[in-house]
Amino acid sequence: MNNIGTTRRDFLSRASGGFGAIALAGMLGENIAHAEDPLKPRAGHHAPKADRVIFLYSTGGVSQVDTFNHRPQLTKDHGKSITASRWLNTSGEFKRFLIKPRYNFEQHGQSGAWVSELFPHLGSVIDDVCVLNAMHCDSDGHDKATLAAHTGSAQFARPSAGSWVSYGLGTVNQNMPSFMVLAPSAPYAGTQTWGSDFLPACHQGTHVLPGKEPLPNVRPQMAEGGLQQMELNLRNKLNEIHFKKRAADQMLNARIRSFETAFGMQREAPEAFDLSGETAATLGLYGIERDTTAGFGWQCLVARRLAERGVRFLELIDVGSSNNWDSHGNMGDHAKLAKAIDQPIAGLLTDLKQRGMLDSTLVVWTTEFGRTPFHERANHAGREHHKHCFSSWMAGGGVKGGIVHGKSDEYGIRTAEDSVHTHDLHATMLHLLGIDHERLTFRHAGRDFRLTDVHGRVVDQIIS
Amino acid sequence: MLLQSPRNTSIWNFLVTAVAICLTSTVTNCSAQSDEDFFESNVRPLLVKHCQECHGEKKQEGSLRLDSRDGWSRGGDRGQTIHPGQPEKSLLIEAVKYKDSDLEMPPSKQLTEQEIAVLETWIKRGAPDPRTESTTTTAMSVEEAKKFWAFQPLKLPAIPQDADHPKSQNPIDAFVLAQLKKQKLSSVPSADRRTLIRRAAFDLTGLPPTPLEIGAFLNDKSEDAFESLVERLLDSPAYGERWGRHWLDVARYADTAGDGSDYPVREAYKYRNWVIDAFNNDKPFNEFIREQIAGDILARDGSPEEYADRVTATGFLAIGKRYGYQASPTYQYLDFADVIDSVGRSMLGLSIGCARCHDHKYDPVSAKDYYALYGIMQSTKWAFPGGEEQKRPAHFPPLVPAKEAARLDQAKQETLARLDREIAGLKRERAELNPNFLAGGADLGLESQKPGQPPGQPWVSAGPIDVTTEAQSPFDHIHPKGKVGVRLGSGQPTDGLRYVFENGLRATPGGQMHFTVDFRTVAAAEQKGAFRFYLGRGVIQSLAVQCSATATEFAIHNGTEWETIRKLTPGTWYTLQLTIDPDTKMYSGFVGTADDLTVFNNKSTGANWDGVADCFICDGFGFVEGPACARDIDNVGLQSVAFNAPGTGPILPRIMETALTERLKKIDGRINNLTAKRQTTAASIAYPLAYGVTEGSPVNARLQKRGEPHRLGEEIPRRNLEVLGGDLVAKGAGSGRLDLANWITRPDNPLTARVFVNRVWQWHFGRGLVATPSDFGTRGEPPTHPELLDWLAAKFIASGWSVKSLHRWIMSSKTYQLASADDRGNSAIDPNNRFHWRYARRPLDAESTRDAMLAVSGNLDREVPLAHPFPPVDTWGFTIHNPFHAVYDSNHRSVYLMVQRNQRHPYLALFDAADPNQSVAKRQPTTTPTQALFLMNSPFVHEQSQDFAKRIITVTGDDRAKTLWAFETAHGQIPEEAEVQEALNFVSAYRQQLSKASSQNDQEKAVWSALARVLFTSNQFLYVD
Repeated sequence: MNNIGTTRRDFLSRASGGFGAIALAGMLGENIAHAEDPLKPRAGHHAPKADRVIFLYSTGGVSQVDTFNHRPQLTKDHGKSITASRWLNTSGEFKRFLIKPRYNFEQHGQSGAWVSELFPHLGSVIDDVCVLNAMHCDSDGHDKATLAAHTGSAQFARPSAGSWVSYGLGTVNQNMPSFMVLAPSAPYAGTQTWGSDFLPACHQGTHVLPGKEPLPNVRPQMAEGGLQQMELNLRNKLNEIHFKKRAADQMLNARIRSFETAFGMQREAPEAFDLSGETAATLGLYGIERDTTAGFGWQCLVARRLAERGVRFLELIDVGSSNNWDSHGNMGDHAKLAKAIDQPIAGLLTDLKQRGMLDSTLVVWTTEFGRTPFHERANHAGREHHKHCFSSWMAGGGVKGGIVHGKSDEYGIRTAEDSVHTHDLHATMLHLLGIDHERLTFRHAGRDFRLTDVHGRVVDQIIS
Repeated sequence: MLLQSPRNTSIWNFLVTAVAICLTSTVTNCSAQSDEDFFESNVRPLLVKHCQECHGEKKQEGSLRLDSRDGWSRGGDRGQTIHPGQPEKSLLIEAVKYKDSDLEMPPSKQLTEQEIAVLETWIKRGAPDPRTESTTTTAMSVEEAKKFWAFQPLKLPAIPQDADHPKSQNPIDAFVLAQLKKQKLSSVPSADRRTLIRRAAFDLTGLPPTPLEIGAFLNDKSEDAFESLVERLLDSPAYGERWGRHWLDVARYADTAGDGSDYPVREAYKYRNWVIDAFNNDKPFNEFIREQIAGDILARDGSPEEYADRVTATGFLAIGKRYGYQASPTYQYLDFADVIDSVGRSMLGLSIGCARCHDHKYDPVSAKDYYALYGIMQSTKWAFPGGEEQKRPAHFPPLVPAKEAARLDQAKQETLARLDREIAGLKRERAELNPNFLAGGADLGLESQKPGQPPGQPWVSAGPIDVTTEAQSPFDHIHPKGKVGVRLGSGQPTDGLRYVFENGLRATPGGQMHFTVDFRTVAAAEQKGAFRFYLGRGVIQSLAVQCSATATEFAIHNGTEWETIRKLTPGTWYTLQLTIDPDTKMYSGFVGTADDLTVFNNKSTGANWDGVADCFICDGFGFVEGPACARDIDNVGLQSVAFNAPGTGPILPRIMETALTERLKKIDGRINNLTAKRQTTAASIAYPLAYGVTEGSPVNARLQKRGEPHRLGEEIPRRNLEVLGGDLVAKGAGSGRLDLANWITRPDNPLTARVFVNRVWQWHFGRGLVATPSDFGTRGEPPTHPELLDWLAAKFIASGWSVKSLHRWIMSSKTYQLASADDRGNSAIDPNNRFHWRYARRPLDAESTRDAMLAVSGNLDREVPLAHPFPPVDTWGFTIHNPFHAVYDSNHRSVYLMVQRNQRHPYLALFDAADPNQSVAKRQPTTTPTQALFLMNSPFVHEQSQDFAKRIITVTGDDRAKTLWAFETAHGQIPEEAEVQEALNFVSAYRQQLSKASSQNDQEKAVWSALARVLFTSNQFLYVD
C-alpha cells in the first residue's frame, strides 16, 4: 500500500483501513467512490510476481484421470468394483466399477510430467506449467461449482475473482476495461460468473462475444469520423459550461472522462481485436487461419493482445453450458473439446514466453470439478461429476514451472497429499498479484466480504 | 489465543494425582513432566500450529474451538471432541488419524506419528488444559439489544425550537437545522423553480417535465404552487411506476425464476403491477406489508373484490431466486434462505439470513430465530415456476376463491370427460366399422412410419432406435404383411419403445385380453443383458404382464418371479401371444415359431394390477442385468378377441366399399373436430393464477446445524424473533404467516416504520438518515438524525401508514428544496452532505435515463403493457444446458421491461439497475466507458435522437428558436447564451460538413439528430440538480 498518496492514506486511516475503505464510502452513499477513480492503478499489499491474469476456464467438468493425473493402477484394476462413499451428494455406500482412462499418458519435457494424449501441444510446454493434481471443491452441481470456481461462493451471487482483482489493483490502460471475458457463451450460472455483484460495477467483466463485432456499440454509427469528433467536442463544451458551476462534483468529471475513454476505446479496442498485423508464424502457433474471428485460438491470441494493452484480468471460456466437457455418456467427447483448446493454449504460453511476458502474466486453467474414475455400470463409456479430486494448472507469473503439486489416491478418487481447494487457488492467484486475500475486503450488508470468504490458503510450495 | 491464562487451581490439584503414561519415547521427557509442563511444551504448540487457525478465535470450523478447555468441552457439530482419559473414544484422535475420509484433520497434511502420539498421551492423561475461555464476544444478547437505538420503542420526539425561526417552521427543517447548527453548518439557498420542478418530476415520476408543465409551474404565483405540483405528480400513474420500482429493487423482483435454466414466470408481472397500483392508490403501508406476507390468508376472509389482489401480493415471497429443478423439498432450504433474508432486510432492516448457519455474530438474532421463521415458510405451499427436471409450473395459487376454483376446475374436467367420451365412442365406432382395424389398430400405425428414423407419433421412443425394412416380421397371421418393423439398439435401460392404445382394454366380467408381438434378437448382437415387454396401465403405473428375453433365452414374469421358458436363437423371428384373465389375474400363452411353440399356463399377473391394459413398452429392464441386446420387433397387437394362431394363413388387406369409406371419413372428421376442441379446452385457463403462495400443512422446522439441511438439531417452534417479542404461532393458526405479518406491522414493532421512512428518505435524497437502509443492526450505520427518523416514523404510523403523506411532508420542507450548489465551508466539515446543507445532485438511474429519452423523443408509450411475450408453456424445455433467454424490445416505461435473472437485460445491467438476485437496498451508480459507448453509438440512442430531431424540425422559427426549444425540452432549463452559441456553431458546421453528401431533407434530420444526441448524453440531461 506504499504507493498511495497522502490524501488517500488519510482517508484510509479514517475509515476502517485497507481496501475496504473505498467500498465503505460507496456504501455510505458518499461521492468518494467517484472522486477516487476506482480503476486507477494501485499497488497491492506486497511486491507482486504477476501483473495480470489470464484465466482459462473449461466448462462442464474435465476428467482428471484422462488429462493430467496419471493413475496406472486405475488401468490395472479396470472393471473391479469398489465401494464409493457418497454419490452425487447422496450419502451412503455405493458399489461402483473402476473405469480405466480412455486416453494414454506420456511423460513430457525435462520434468517428465505425465500428460495424456488429449494435450500433446500442452505437453510440449509442460516445463513452464505447474500441474495441480489434488484440487477439490464443495459442490457436485454445475451451477454451484461454477459459481464457486469464479466467486468463491457456491450459493449466492458474489463478485467474480476478476472483479476483486480489478477492485484491488485498478488497471493501467484507461482506454480499456480492467476485466474482460472472452467467451462464446456464458457458462453455467450465466453472467454472474463475471459479475461484480456488490463491488462497484466498473469492476464487472466486460463480456466479449467472439465474432465479427466483439464489443457492442464500439463502432461509431457515423461513417465519417469528423462528425463524431464534432459531437464529442460540443458535448465537452456543454459539459464544461455545466461543470463550471458545479466544479466540486467529481462525479460529473468522471462522466466527462468516460466519453474520452470510450472515444479512445473506439480506436484502441477494435485495433486490439484486429489480428491482421499478426504474422503467419504467430497465427500458426495458435493454430488459426487468417481472418478467423472466433474459436479458442482467436480468444487466446486476442487475450495476448489485450494483455499487451494492459487489461488486468482476462477470462477465456471455451464452451457454454451445452455440448461441453460434461461427458456423462461418452468420454470420447473429451477429445474434440481438448483438440479445440490444446494448441491455442500451448501457443499462448509459447507466445507470451517469447515476448517476455510470461514472467509477469499468470495463466491459470481450471474447470468446475473432475469426473468419477468409476461408474455404476461396468465398462460404461461416460463419467459422472466428481468434486473430491480434480486437476488444474498454473503457469508463468511467479509459479514454478515443470512441477506437479498434489497427489491423489491410486485411482484419482480422493486427494491424498498437498490438496488445493478452489479457495486456495484464489488465495494463491491474489498472492501472486501482490494481494493478501485476507485483507482484500469489501464492506457489504454489515460485514467485510472476501473472495475467499473465511477460507483459503496460499500454496507457497508452487511459488518460485 | 496465545495469552497466558491464570493458573487454574484444579489443574494443580489434578497434577498431584495424575499418573503420567508415556506411549513413545520421542515425546520430550514425558514421564518426568508435570501435566502443565507437558501441555505447555508439547500440546499447546501443536494445537496452535495445526488446529487453532480454523478452530480458534477467528474461525470456528464445525462450530469447534480448540483454543480453550471450555471450547473443546462444548464440542462441535459432531458432538464431543475429547473424552478425557479415553483417546480411543475421542473424535480428535479419529480425525488426526484420518480414519474417516470426511473428517481428516488437519486437512492440508496429516500430523506425524509423534504428534499424534502427543495428543493421545495428553488425552490419556485426562487432557489437562489450563486455558480458560477468552470472554471477548461480539454478539449482542436480546437483553443488550433493548438498549440499542434501533430496538428502542418508537416515541414522537418534541420538535426542536429555535429562537431564530418562527414556530410555523416545517418540523423536518427544525430537526435538520438543529443538527446543522450543532455541526456548525449553514444551508445553501433554495433551488430555483426550474430546478425544483425537474427535481420533483424525476423524483416522483421518473420523467422530465415538459416545457408546458414548466411554464404552468413558473406562472403559478400562489403560495402553495410547489405543493400543488407535488399533488399533481402524486396523482399521476407515473408516480407508482417510479416508486413501485424502488420497492421492486428491495423485493428482488424478476420475471424469471433464476435456477440454472432460468424459467420464465408468466404471472410475475401481476405482482409488479400490484406494487405499482399499491403506490398509486396510497395503500396503507402496513396493509402493503401484510398482504405481501399473508395476502392469501387475508383474501379468504376479505371482500371478494380484493381477493385476486391480495393473493397476487404474496408474489413478494415467491419472486426470489429459486434453486430447485423440480417441485420437491430438496433445495427448498436455499429458497427459504432467500425468503427469510429478504423479509429480514426489506421489512425489518435485519440480516436474519446470517443466522442460518450460526447465531448472528453481531445482532440479536439466533439460529433458533431463523428456524422459527423457517418453520413458517415450510408450512407454506410455494408456487413452482418450472425447472430442469419438472419443466412445467405448478401450485400457482388461483386468483379466485378456493370454492370457485374447485367449481371451475370441475366444470372444465367435466367438459373434458364429455369430449373424451364422445371421441372414444367415435373411435370405437370407427374400429368396429373398419375391417382393416386389426389388433388395436392397423399395425398400430407402424407401416406408415418413415424407415431410417425413430418411430414417431403415436409411438414414443428413446435411445438408439429406428424403423427399418430389416425388422419386418415374417409372420402374417395377425396383421397383413408389411414392409417395416422397429430395430432397437442397445442403450440405457430406460431406452426403448412405447405404444399407448387409444382404446385400451379394461376388465369386464368374464372378458379376456389378448396380446401379441413378434420379435427376434439381432444376430450380431453382443450384449448379454435382457430386454423386456411390459403390458399394463400407463407407463409402469399398473403392471399386468411382463416378459423378457436375452439373445438366447426367453422368460416370463410369474407373480414376483422370473421364469425362463425356452431357448432362443439369435436372428430367428418368434411370435408371442398372451391371453390374460383379469378376473383371476392369471395369464397363459405361447412363444416360438409356427412349428416350435412353447406353451405356458396359469401364470400370475402383477399382484396389484388394476385391470387396465393400455400401454405396451419394450425397454432394457429385463431378467438379466447389463445392456440389453439389440432386437427387432413388429406386429404388436392388443384386443378383446382371440388372435389367429401362427401358420393359419395370411391376413390380407380388405377392400372397402365406397359407402363405408365415406362413412369412415365422416367419423374421422368428427373425431378431428372434437380432438381440436378438447385441446383448446385443455389448454384454456379455467381461472387466472398468481406467482405466490398458499397455506401448506403446519410443521415446525428442526434446526439445521451449520445450515446443512441433513444435519438436524432440535425442533424449533414457529414464532416471532425473540428480540421482537418471541410470540408463538397460535395453535390452529395455520402456517403462521398471518401472525408474522401482524408482528411485522404492529405499531410497537420498533423497526418496520423506521426502516421504511428511512428508505423513503433515501429515495428522495440519495442517502438515508441511516446510511445502511437494510441493516439497522449493530454493523449498520447509526442515524444522523435519530429524532427526525423517529418523528417521521411516528407520524407515518399516525397518518395510517400513508406513503403519499410522507412525500408531502418531506417535499414541502426547505431541506428538500435546497439548491445543489457547493459551499466550501460546509464541504470542509461535511463533504458528503450527511447533514443536508444542500440537496445532493444525483445521476439519473437506468430507468429514468431510458424513459426520459423516450419521453423527449415522443416515443414513450404510457400504457401498461400486457404480459411478456414468453414462448407458449407447452414448448418449454429449458435446461441448465439450454437456459431460457430473451430480451423484449418495447417503448413502454422501463419498469415494464422483462427483468431476467441469470442473463441480465444488457441495458439494465450496464446502467446499474438492481441485480434481481437479492434484495437491493441502494443501487451503486457507476460511470464506465462502456456506458459512454452505449450513449454514443447504440441504436437506441440514435433512434430516439432521430425522432427527437423530427420534433425539433417542426418547431417554427430559425435555428436559434429550434435550438432553444430543444434545450428546454431535453434539459428543462433555458440554456445560457454561451451554450446556445456553441450549439448554433455546431449546427452550422455540421450542416456544412454534410452539405456535399445528401439531400437537404436528410441533411436537416442528420444535423438535428446530432444535436439531439449531444443533448441526451450531456451531464445536464444525465444528472438531476
